[in-house]
Amino acid sequence: MKIQNIRNFSIVAHIDHGKSTLADRMLELTGTITERQAKDQILDSMDIERERGITIKASAVTMEYEHDGEHYMLNLIDTPGHVDFGYEVSRALAACEGALLVVDATQGIQAQTLANAYLATEAGAEILGVINKVDLPAAQPDLVAEEIEHVLGIRRNECFHISAKSGLGVKDLLDAVCMLLPPPADRSDEPARALIFDSQYDDYRGVICYVRVFSGTLKTRQRIRLMGTGYTYQVTELGKFRPDMRPVDELGCGEVGYVIANIRDLANVRIGDTITDDVHPAPDALKGYKPPMQMVFSDFYPGNNTEYPRLRAAFDKLSLNDASFTFVPQNSQALGFGFRCGFLGLLHMEIIQERLERENDIDVVQTAPTVSYEILLRDGTVKRIDAPSELPDRTMVAEIREPFVKLEIITANDTIGGIMKLAEARRCKLLKTDYLSPTRVMMVYKAPLAEIVYDFYDLIKGISHGYATMDYEFTGFEAEDLVKIDILVNGTPVEALSLIVHRSNAEPRGRKLITKLRKSIPRHQFEIPLQVAIGGKIIARETIKAYRKDVTAKLYGGDVTRKMKLLKKQKEGKKRMKNIGAVEIPQEAFMSVLDTSE
Amino acid sequence: MAELATGPTKSGRRASCVKREADSRSASWRALARGQASDERQGTRDDSLSFGLYVHVPVCRSKCRYCGFYSLPADRVDAPRLVDGLLLELDRCERTGFCTAYIGGGSPSSLPVNDLLRLVQQVRRRCLPAAEFTVECNPGQVDAGFLEGLRTAGVNRLSFGAQSFLARELELLGRGHSVEQIGAAVTAARRAGFENVGLDLIFAIPGSSPADWQASLDAAVALNIEHVSAYSLSFEPGTVFEAWRRAGRLAAVDEELDRAMYEWTIDRLERAGLRQYEISNFARPGFECRHNLGYWANRPYVGIGPAAASCLTLDIREGGRRITNDADIERYLAAVESGRPAPAQTQVVSPDDAVCETAVLNLRRRGGIDLAEFRRRTGLDPMRIFADPIERYRAMGLMEVTDRAVRLAGRALPVADTILCDFSALD
Ligand SMILES: Nc1nc2c(ncn2[C@@H]2O[C@H](COP(=O)(O)OP(=O)(O)OP(=O)(O)O)[C@@H](O)[C@H]2O)c(=O)[nH]1
Ligand code: SF4
Ligand SMILES: [Mg+2]
Repeated sequence: MKIQNIRNFSIVAHIDHGKSTLADRMLELTGTITERQAKDQILDSMDIERERGITIKASAVTMEYEHDGEHYMLNLIDTPGHVDFGYEVSRALAACEGALLVVDATQGIQAQTLANAYLATEAGAEILGVINKVDLPAAQPDLVAEEIEHVLGIRRNECFHISAKSGLGVKDLLDAVCMLLPPPADRSDEPARALIFDSQYDDYRGVICYVRVFSGTLKTRQRIRLMGTGYTYQVTELGKFRPDMRPVDELGCGEVGYVIANIRDLANVRIGDTITDDVHPAPDALKGYKPPMQMVFSDFYPGNNTEYPRLRAAFDKLSLNDASFTFVPQNSQALGFGFRCGFLGLLHMEIIQERLERENDIDVVQTAPTVSYEILLRDGTVKRIDAPSELPDRTMVAEIREPFVKLEIITANDTIGGIMKLAEARRCKLLKTDYLSPTRVMMVYKAPLAEIVYDFYDLIKGISHGYATMDYEFTGFEAEDLVKIDILVNGTPVEALSLIVHRSNAEPRGRKLITKLRKSIPRHQFEIPLQVAIGGKIIARETIKAYRKDVTAKLYGGDVTRKMKLLKKQKEGKKRMKNIGAVEIPQEAFMSVLDTSE
Repeated sequence: MAELATGPTKSGRRASCVKREADSRSASWRALARGQASDERQGTRDDSLSFGLYVHVPVCRSKCRYCGFYSLPADRVDAPRLVDGLLLELDRCERTGFCTAYIGGGSPSSLPVNDLLRLVQQVRRRCLPAAEFTVECNPGQVDAGFLEGLRTAGVNRLSFGAQSFLARELELLGRGHSVEQIGAAVTAARRAGFENVGLDLIFAIPGSSPADWQASLDAAVALNIEHVSAYSLSFEPGTVFEAWRRAGRLAAVDEELDRAMYEWTIDRLERAGLRQYEISNFARPGFECRHNLGYWANRPYVGIGPAAASCLTLDIREGGRRITNDADIERYLAAVESGRPAPAQTQVVSPDDAVCETAVLNLRRRGGIDLAEFRRRTGLDPMRIFADPIERYRAMGLMEVTDRAVRLAGRALPVADTILCDFSALD
């Protein structure tokens, strides 16, 4: 394949604007999938993606296309749109020369439209503006085109008007990809360098690396070296996604595909690393990725302590498929051995937790997510903590700094009032307001991450009847008047339930928390006091009454089968609980920290 | 009610007397499997290696409002035919030498006396000489002649469904007998020569006050009986009580009072010399119900009749089966009359499950798990396989451990299920 006829591009957009559906149409038009194979959002291959109807992982696919009498190879990467998965998008973009920025014609520019447009520009990708869903009666393609021109500087007459659903305009878009997006730079004579932009683990074949070749050529049976980690392997299979894996003999410069080299040890492969030839290595590695910034942290413990090694193996495997979460061993006196995990956001956390349980059949107990804090100690040293329990003794702390973000909210101007009120209650400072169009506004705030990362999005969605969208970006740590709330269950402080909050808010938060706990911790054989302490002083108390009666009166011969079943079920229910100071604390209790509703 | 012993299950099913037992390693088990009790054991009361026999009579004179068990009204059942059917099923069973027998229901006493006696005689023939033989009776359905007949036919224990000594409560429960009839029945039983008489009582009846329950307990104690079973009322699906509760006509007794009533029961009966030997059962020393002790020891038994259950776990180390006859009387009779086994559901019990069943059942006994007995029966050390819950609950003061036994502490009894569930499966 002539390198001039290769096009590598990502499809990026706000969530649900139609990326995966556009990919479907392109796969059909290019004959990559037959009508028989076709199904909606075919690239969303994980169960969890199909159930939730969203893309979580970027996926690559190679298509062949005739344009103007020439044969083209198009490598498309479909990306997720949710705010948590910006990192997936930036990795995909690093493997491409171009990007299709899709905007829903009924919704216009949304928070992740902007965020992804910035990412594409940063990655140096050529952007094509695509206005989708023009088939819908509520579509306002001209207005949206105007907005795109006004906000993103893409000329309105250069936007493509399509319906990814019906296929309208998609062929023109493919032609435009061939004509308007640049080919990869020709570095076929240089030593081989391929960027690992993703990977996956297969029980039989080991690690499968998803790569983009930037220079030279990869061949089967070639000896390769991973430049970052230094490990060497022999390539056993090269191939392309079409969209299922098809072996090829070589991957040329500019191409996208996969490499299998019998890599068994997960730790040896790093996303963002460069593959080179072991005999004629490139002098330096490709620019990798800057590591993603984990926004929320939560501890995961196996429901049953003996499952720790299985949990570790499961995390190893998952991390290969998702480079953006971190996990470090954690030993809690109360909860046993587990892991402190870092995530890009709450959806990300939820997904990892669900995949863990589903793909590995492990019950986990998870502590409430928290942001990380910077602690300035009296001796002048600065310490980073990512769990409230790690906060050093009060007497040693000079100040507590919390993470701040630049928060962008896009909404309709008649919902501004409600959103501003909420933002104010959450200690957000309005920096500026921009009108995207006469009826749509972008508000930019400086916000404490802890105030917006959990339920804020849901709340503004509620206030704006589903209209508002938001995106945020970390800006730095700043000192605030923060205090730690401790929760004592049955007289024992439960570290996993403590939280750090602004002083002005501490007492009501603490009270609310134990009210929630009282409902989520089941009754026991004894009375359980719940207490809230701030700086060692008890400020509130609740009591969980003791279980008074739970016994089967009659158990004779004919009752045994049924009773054993019920008892087993009762026992099963205890599995997702952790025993702290003789109290069984269920999973939901740890999460009640998050629930700030009344 | 029907203080059912091998009680039928709610949905009601039934068991056949299975001919071939699982092969067992030990010779004595094999002998037992053929129903041959060894000579030296014939005259003893050591039930440890023998089967119990339960016969279910699913007939009641009228339906009590709280009862969720399968039974039909007496006037809709052809009693002679039913008894013939029970005898047919019993005939198919090759086993003899039962160490205990229990005819329950339903109300066996609602059968015409001749039919009941025919059943009693056949059951008696299959029992060891020293067997315990119980028949459940409704106090309103017995007279001197009836009881003498039972005594003469070899019945040596009676269990009366007294339930309450308050006329208002008996009326509410729909028991169909009076307070006076309870005393009269016990007196008649004594005259007929019964030295082992028990009563069933129900507490936490809707509307019941502490004084009400204490009055019933006092009245029961005053009758000088050997045995009491006391159950907290539960609202079973499909009963009149459950419907009334949903309609707001009845309210369950408050949990706190329910528990207090249970604790008074233990206290009052113990003071009267009726020792608690199981969660709901009390007896003068030596008068514990041997048949029911068999269930809690997880020993095998054969169940005859619609909705009766059999446990054919001979050697716990090998697991076994539980077979529950289907409830429907018509289908039952049609099957046994044409020489077929009674329609039944079989549940295979794995060795692990059999071990757990044993632990759970044992722990219902006041004596708990007898470590030596458990080791002998299961080949496993309970202190090892249940180390985790035992240690946890011991530390909480909810279990007591000696070098011979593990048992629930007294204060754990009202919440026993929250503890027993941790013994229901091996991790
Ligand atoms: N009417 C209409 N519906 C469309 C069109 N394109 C996509 N949709 C619908 O919009 C919804 C979202 O489409 P997806 O393709 O999953 O959107 P996405 O951008 O991939 O979403 P994420 O991957 O979760 O960010 C689906 O219900 C599609 O059927 C279109 O052109 N017209
Ligand atoms: S209806 Fe009454 S007598 Fe019959 S089984 Fe139920 S409780 Fe016993
Ligand atoms: Mg998608």
